[in-house]
Amino acid sequence: MTNRAAALPIDLGNGPFAVSTRGLARRFGSTRALDGLDLQVPEGAVYVLVGPNGAGKTTLIRTLMGLVRYQAGTVSVLGRDPADRGAEVRAGIGYVPEDYRVGYAWMTVGRLLEHQAVYNPSWDAEYARELRARYAIDPGRKCHALSKGQSRRVQLVLALAHRPPLLLLDEPTDGLDHVVRDDTLSILSEHLADSPTTVVISTHRVYEVESLVDHVGVLSEGRLLGQLPRDELYGGLLRYWADVPEGWRGPGELAGWVVKRSHAARGIEWTVWGDRNAVTRELSQAGAEVREVVPLSVDEAAVALLSGREAT
Amino acid sequence: MKIRLSHADGRPLYVQIMDAVRSGLVRGSLRPEDPLPSVRDLSSSLRVNPRTVSQAYAALERDGVVQVRHGKGTFVAPGVRPEETERPRLAREVARRALADASRNGLGLADLMTALREVEGGGVHGDGSKEDGR
Repeated sequence: MTNRAAALPIDLGNGPFAVSTRGLARRFGSTRALDGLDLQVPEGAVYVLVGPNGAGKTTLIRTLMGLVRYQAGTVSVLGRDPADRGAEVRAGIGYVPEDYRVGYAWMTVGRLLEHQAVYNPSWDAEYARELRARYAIDPGRKCHALSKGQSRRVQLVLALAHRPPLLLLDEPTDGLDHVVRDDTLSILSEHLADSPTTVVISTHRVYEVESLVDHVGVLSEGRLLGQLPRDELYGGLLRYWADVPEGWRGPGELAGWVVKRSHAARGIEWTVWGDRNAVTRELSQAGAEVREVVPLSVDEAAVALLSGREAT
Repeated sequence: MKIRLSHADGRPLYVQIMDAVRSGLVRGSLRPEDPLPSVRDLSSSLRVNPRTVSQAYAALERDGVVQVRHGKGTFVAPGVRPEETERPRLAREVARRALADASRNGLGLADLMTALREVEGGGVHGDGSKEDGR
C-alpha cells in the first residue's frame, strides 16, 4: 500500500549552490557520523538542517568549515574544498559554533572585537558597534566571565559583522532568553535584507527559526531523509483527517508515501507525502470521508519524518 | 498595519501578509497611495525572511493592489477600490475558512447558515452553545 519510491526529494537540481557535498562520509571509530551525504544549499537560501542530537549536524558544519577531515566524497564551500583551502573558506564564513567559548579567557570582549577589525579586512566596524549595542554587550567584560547567553551574543556579532557570503550557525539560539532570541531573529531578517547571504542553521528547535527558513534538510544518522524548498514541503507533506467505515482496509494503492498513520475506530489521521488532489481522491474512492487536509510546520514535518523512520 | 502571523494557520506566511494588507484596505486603515512598510522593516518586525515579504508584495502587485515604485518603496495602488474588489474577495476567503472549519466538525453549509443567522440575531447569544471552533 505504501509506495517507498515516493519518499521525499533530496536533489535540488543544478544550483548554483553556495555549499554542496557528494557522498560525504566520516566515521569516528565504528560510528558513521556522516554516511554518504549529498548536501545542496542554494546560493541565497536560508537552509535549516533538522535532526536529533547525534544525527551528524555539528560534524557536517565542522566539515564545511574545514575543522573536521572527511574520509570520502567531495565538498565544495563557496567554490572551494575546505580540506585543502580551509583558511580561504573560513574567511568567507560567519560561524557560530556549538561551543560557547570565545576568544582568549583573559581578553576583554572589546579587545576581541578590535582584534577582528585588524585581522579581518571586510570587518564593518560601524555595524559591529550597532550589533554590540543592540545586544547590550559590555566591552569591558573578560571572555572567561561571559554567561552562555552573553557568549552566544558575542559569537553572533563576530559572525555577522564582516558580512560574509555564508553563515554557518550551529544552534544559534541556544542559551538565549526569549527576548534576545526574538532580537536575534530580527537582526538576521535585517541582515538578509541588507546583504546577500546564504545561511545554514543547524538546530533541533526548528520552530524558533521557522519563519526565516526557505529550505529544509532533515538529517538522521548521517544521511538526509529529505532536502527541499520549504514551500514544496508545505504543499506536499500534508495531514489528512478522515472518517472511515468500521473495519476500513485503506486504499489498495495510494499516489503518495504514508509517512505516519494513526487509526482510531472510525477515524484516521495520516501524514502523506504526495499530490493533495490525488491522495484525497483515492482516500474518498476507498470509502473515507476526508474532513480536513492541513500542511505541517517544518517542526511537525521533521518530527513526522524522523518518527516515521523509527517505525519502519 | 497590524499583522500577526501564525504557523498553525493553514495559509502560507506570504498569504497571511497579503490578507493582512487586504483587510487593512477593507477596514480603511490602509488607503490608496498609502506607503507600506519597507521589506526590511516588515521582515524585521515580523521576524520573517525578507523574501517572504517580497513575495507577498510581488503577488499583491500582480493583483493590482500595490505598486512598487523603484527607489521609493511600495504603495497601495491609486486605482484600488476596496469596496468593489477587496471586500468580496476577503469575504470569500473568510467563508472558505469557515466552511473548511465546519466540514472538519462534520457540519455542512446549511448548518452554518442557520447558525450564522441565529448568532447574528442574538438568538443564541451568551448561552454557551455558540461554537467558534478555537
